[in-house]
Amino acid sequence: MLNVALAKGRLAESCADIFIKCGIRAEVLKEETRKLVLETPDGAFKFFFVKPADVPTYVEYGIADIGVVGKDTLLEADADLYEMLDLGFEKCRLSLAGFPDAKEKLHGSHLRVATKYVNLAKKLFLTRGEDVEIIKLNGSIELAPLTGLADVIFDIVQSGGTLRANGLVVLEDVFDISARLIANKVSLKTKAAEILPLLSEMKKYIGQA
Amino acid sequence: MSYYKLPSGVRDVLPDECEKLDAAEEILRGKFKGAGFRFVRSAGLEYYDTYACIKSTVAQTKMFKLTDKDGNLIVLRPDMTLACARIAATKLHEERAKLCYFTQVYDLSAGGNSDREVAQAGVEVFGERGARADAEIIAFAVDCLKAVGLKKFIVDIGHVGFYKGLLEESGLREEDAEEIRAYINAKDQVNTELALKKLGAGKKAQAAILALPSLFGGAEVLSEAEKLTDNALARESLAHLQEVYAYLKKARVDEYVSFDLGTVKSLSYYSGMVFTGLAEGVGASVLSGGRYDGLCAQFGKDLPAVGFAVGMMRVLRALQNKEGGIC
Repeated sequence: MLNVALAKGRLAESCADIFIKCGIRAEVLKEETRKLVLETPDGAFKFFFVKPADVPTYVEYGIADIGVVGKDTLLEADADLYEMLDLGFEKCRLSLAGFPDAKEKLHGSHLRVATKYVNLAKKLFLTRGEDVEIIKLNGSIELAPLTGLADVIFDIVQSGGTLRANGLVVLEDVFDISARLIANKVSLKTKAAEILPLLSEMKKYIGQA
Repeated sequence: MSYYKLPSGVRDVLPDECEKLDAAEEILRGKFKGAGFRFVRSAGLEYYDTYACIKSTVAQTKMFKLTDKDGNLIVLRPDMTLACARIAATKLHEERAKLCYFTQVYDLSAGGNSDREVAQAGVEVFGERGARADAEIIAFAVDCLKAVGLKKFIVDIGHVGFYKGLLEESGLREEDAEEIRAYINAKDQVNTELALKKLGAGKKAQAAILALPSLFGGAEVLSEAEKLTDNALARESLAHLQEVYAYLKKARVDEYVSFDLGTVKSLSYYSGMVFTGLAEGVGASVLSGGRYDGLCAQFGKDLPAVGFAVGMMRVLRALQNKEGGIC
């Protein structure tokens, strides 16, 4: 049996579609339910529903053999695991954004950056050799520059609608993000007979989701 | 903060679990002694410079540091293979030695699925070269894992020379190679490809490096890999692994081994064949080892060497797991 960690919501639904195309009896994922663990009728797969940020954790510890998660979450978690496939859906960008005039401040002496991605932001500015103050927020990141809490934000941008509505612009795109299939380093070897055929099957459907 | 709590990443082992740990250690003690290894205990404190000034340095962020009375920087034993190499090169005055140990090593930076204090049982063979010695140590690792009661496990074998050879051919600079190494180690084909294109590696080398993340499985990956490169070092490494595999077949442990040429551990002391023990249900390796010729030379005496260490707490976890063990 293969254990799969999934983030509840849109990502899980896109995954369900691709799994069904691959011949997995993942219809269970489409049901309205409050259960946290779902099993396919043939007992071949068990799905865990976890918070997106916890998907890498379940996979790193080997509780889940594989998982599907956004590249942003992976970059932030920096977990020790294998990143096997770019599934190509849930595309967006991780960008620095702020008021148009904040562009000059980007390479200034002391930038205040509001973000959910604290680890990643630290690493990013460290590699650039810039001295910044990272302010951890959990949501509505766009509010930070509006209220003066931060000069810029470092967050995912999908359509840019929220930014525009608040008079903010993308100052710099830093990473391209999409959903990734990840695997536990041990499971890939000990359950290769289950994981590898699934991977090659999934590859066929990438880009069609 | 409460004074009776422990810092993160360390733990107490209480009697019930301690009995299991002792039982496993007892089995390994018998195995190690039976194979002619002699026990050593290394000092728990060593000079920071011992590990910072050699070529295969331990990352500064991984070492627990203290200041000695005279102001010298001291570290808590970060790695037992390095300690054994230091002992063999500077204190034993012999061309051959078989050392083994039960000890704790400390890793300041560990987190996630790794502890900061790790109980290890390990062996190190000094003075033996060649495919036969490599195969023997792998067969011994299989034997040890079986003896402690693991059922579903494999020993996954790689070779640092294969990757080194591909890099040589690609003409990439060392810092760029390090970036790509991290991607390959994560089997991240997407970023490997992007980085290779950006850095402008040669076409053939690019294709070969890009194939690395998928070069794992049975012995057939060795012949697959041969088609990918003409580099002498890479081909030599593959031929060496073929030879090791032939010995393993003869020793009838081939059903326990697999190959992964994409295991490119961070730049460390390993110089040739490397291997990792993987048990179902643990999620991280239970055993890790390889050949490290050239390390002893940094301590003043050039001895070929090969060895491995078993992570005892992970082995216990594998044994408690219904899928992986007997308990």
